[in-house]
Amino acid sequence: MSESASCGSCVDCGAQLETPLVCTSCGHLFTNEPAPGPFQTLGIPVTYAIDAKALKKRLLQFSRHVHPDFFGTADAQLQTAAERNSAQLNDAYEILSDDFRRADWIIKELKGPSEADERQMPQAFLMEVLEWNEVLEQARAEGPDSAAWAALDSLDSELRQEREATIAKVAEALDPVPTEGAETLAQIRRRLNAIRYLDRSLAQIRTMRVGASAR
Amino acid sequence: MGFVELTVLNNRPSERRALGIDLGTTNTLAAVWHEGRPIVLRPEGKSGVMPSAVNIREDGDPLVGRIARDQAVVDPTNTVFSVKRFMGRGLADVEADAQYSPYALSETERGVVQVEIHGKKYTPQELSGLILQKVHQMACSVLGTDIHEVVITVPAYFDDAQRQATRDAARFAGLDVLRIINEPTAASLAYGLDQKSDGRIAVYDFGGGTFDVSLLSIEEGVFQVLATAGDTHLGGDDIDRALIELMRMKLSDELSHEDMAEPGFLQAARLAAEKAKIALSSDPEHEIRLVIPASGAHWHHTITRADYDALIDPLIERTLQACRQALSDAGLEPDDVDEVVLVGGSTRIPLVRSRVEEFFGRKPHTELNPDEVVALGAAAQAHVLVGGTRELLLMDVTPLSLGLETMGGAVAKLVERNSTIPCSVTEGFTTYADNQTGIDFRILQGEREMADDNRTLARFKLSGIPPMPAGMASVGVRFHLDADGVLTVTAKEESTGAKSTIEVQPMNGLTDGEVEIMLEESITNAQSDFDRRRIVDLHAEIGSMIRAAEKNIESARSELDPESLEDLGSALAAARAAGQSDTLAKIQETRDKLEQATLPLATLLMDSVVRNAVAGKRLDEL
Repeated sequence: MSESASCGSCVDCGAQLETPLVCTSCGHLFTNEPAPGPFQTLGIPVTYAIDAKALKKRLLQFSRHVHPDFFGTADAQLQTAAERNSAQLNDAYEILSDDFRRADWIIKELKGPSEADERQMPQAFLMEVLEWNEVLEQARAEGPDSAAWAALDSLDSELRQEREATIAKVAEALDPVPTEGAETLAQIRRRLNAIRYLDRSLAQIRTMRVGASAR
Repeated sequence: MGFVELTVLNNRPSERRALGIDLGTTNTLAAVWHEGRPIVLRPEGKSGVMPSAVNIREDGDPLVGRIARDQAVVDPTNTVFSVKRFMGRGLADVEADAQYSPYALSETERGVVQVEIHGKKYTPQELSGLILQKVHQMACSVLGTDIHEVVITVPAYFDDAQRQATRDAARFAGLDVLRIINEPTAASLAYGLDQKSDGRIAVYDFGGGTFDVSLLSIEEGVFQVLATAGDTHLGGDDIDRALIELMRMKLSDELSHEDMAEPGFLQAARLAAEKAKIALSSDPEHEIRLVIPASGAHWHHTITRADYDALIDPLIERTLQACRQALSDAGLEPDDVDEVVLVGGSTRIPLVRSRVEEFFGRKPHTELNPDEVVALGAAAQAHVLVGGTRELLLMDVTPLSLGLETMGGAVAKLVERNSTIPCSVTEGFTTYADNQTGIDFRILQGEREMADDNRTLARFKLSGIPPMPAGMASVGVRFHLDADGVLTVTAKEESTGAKSTIEVQPMNGLTDGEVEIMLEESITNAQSDFDRRRIVDLHAEIGSMIRAAEKNIESARSELDPESLEDLGSALAAARAAGQSDTLAKIQETRDKLEQATLPLATLLMDSVVRNAVAGKRLDEL
């Protein structure tokens, strides 16, 4: 992979750059079109495992240099640059701070299959999906204060456990980042499809519960 | 106090400054950064809090603020309250409000609500513009200097149309908007400045017309919004309405339905409800007293705190529902929140405080004045935007998801709600029919699954796609949300580079053209209003000149030369004939001629006055 944490030095002051967006020493804003990848943007090596606290610290640190609020008195060109770089920074953070989107991005970068290319979920998972869907449907049909609704609690924790186990397998396959093997990538994609399903179901449960808690 | 403190500040004219304005449903106020902290701008001895009320007089002259609010009972159909609830809305959106409105409502072609007063229609943008103009004037006179740049706050849950409407209101007031920021975020800034401690906070903002809850993390001066939720139609006004409904129910034996829908009754009931609400925040019970405007009959009813609590509990429950939503979106539990900050006048209600405390499991902060904290935060953000400090940074989110309608009427979300702004998202679309040369896009805002259930922000068409089989075209649609939360959408066909860009002009909004026409009209009106006033003044002046000349002409006749006498006679005749319908130029000319003609008389009189004054006196006595 061509991504690397170092992005050379600042043309203005010569300081080592931490991000391609801005020189954190002298404040020089750089133009990057198309947007650099999220790892490069946040100045960290491409790895699936990530230190969430350190990542957020970098987001805040770089935001202090690129946020449009600090360019209110600058000329229009600088304002546009701040607007664009700030968007690139926020977009990169959104991808990296989300375990699904981070894995998804790495697979695409490795030229692995997209969701459209590989639509399957792991075989073992499919039977469970049918069962889970049934529990959800029944709870929805019978509404709050029913036995089916009470079953949402155990479904919720089961789905969470399943997600944790699946993302752990994804993490294992992606750390270190695999250098070859289309089948490996297809397998990870199938697991990610499973996570997509789990996230959707968990979100449904959340929505149903929030809706029901309204008296 | 305002005057004295601020004159010191005025000695540094090089410093660029901007106002923070909290344009509230009930009250509006302005603040400015001063000596390291934000302060509310108030005329000496006043609170600086101005009621967001507008009364339009018969001649079209607007009264704004306290003086307008005081017209409510005597002139209910021409006094507008809570106009913020109509901002960026269509008639269908405000149906519930319409039945409590003593004035007629209509809608423009583009679905902008209008209020009809004295046969003239006003958009909420224009009325809010009058409020902004007044608070701006007040702020500038306190400061002793003119500041045109402002940061205006809006409820976090305002959608694109409502934000745009707020910008348009500022244009009507002749103000330059640096940024529209969210009220709870502004409040958190003011709170954070005060506390200077890191952690997660929840801002519970229950105002006059809207409810918002925002969850933020504060880390080394960076205020990052994690999630926000709310209801743009839930506030103190709804509590007033619950009380009005109670009065209507209790009065239903004595009064007809029509009597209780009558404007005078509604305004009287509204004021009684407001009074009861305020009293019940401190008293265990309150006697509602009402004079029925139609009959002059007195009516009273005692409401206990327990009755009141039961009446408003469903409304409070709706606010807690939004709190659950925000926590769920942020992936947090109530326990994860370190501090709870209360904002908005409705948080003075004891039941609100206890329910919020119970919900988050901690005592909320109440040491900041809930009426002022939003304006103070806006002033802090204004200070950042004019380059005053880099110590503070606000990273806000978009409150509602943005997407496009897909085939079959569903929504493809491009930007999820609670995404940090600014942000950009690009997604690929394609054609669904062979040789299709254009794609229609419908831009949507909201959380519902089906396109029709969401608010349509705009529609646009990408044309010029070369004929090719279905599914072969590759169209990239880019959504860019800037730091103001304003959306720009660009669609581009990759093979040909055909491109279409639209800066979203929301439905239920005014087009730029409409704003310009209205602005022009108001400027023309301002000129004609000014002219009208000048004409009135000139008539008065001419009148007193005629009276003075008539009084003195006989005694001076013998001493004036015939030419001057003749001039004076014809000028007086012309002045007496001057009519109300004369143009300003004509009446000005009449006045000037009269002044000219009375000069010899005036000189003569002056001389005689001096002569009389010195008569019989020795020179050294003078």
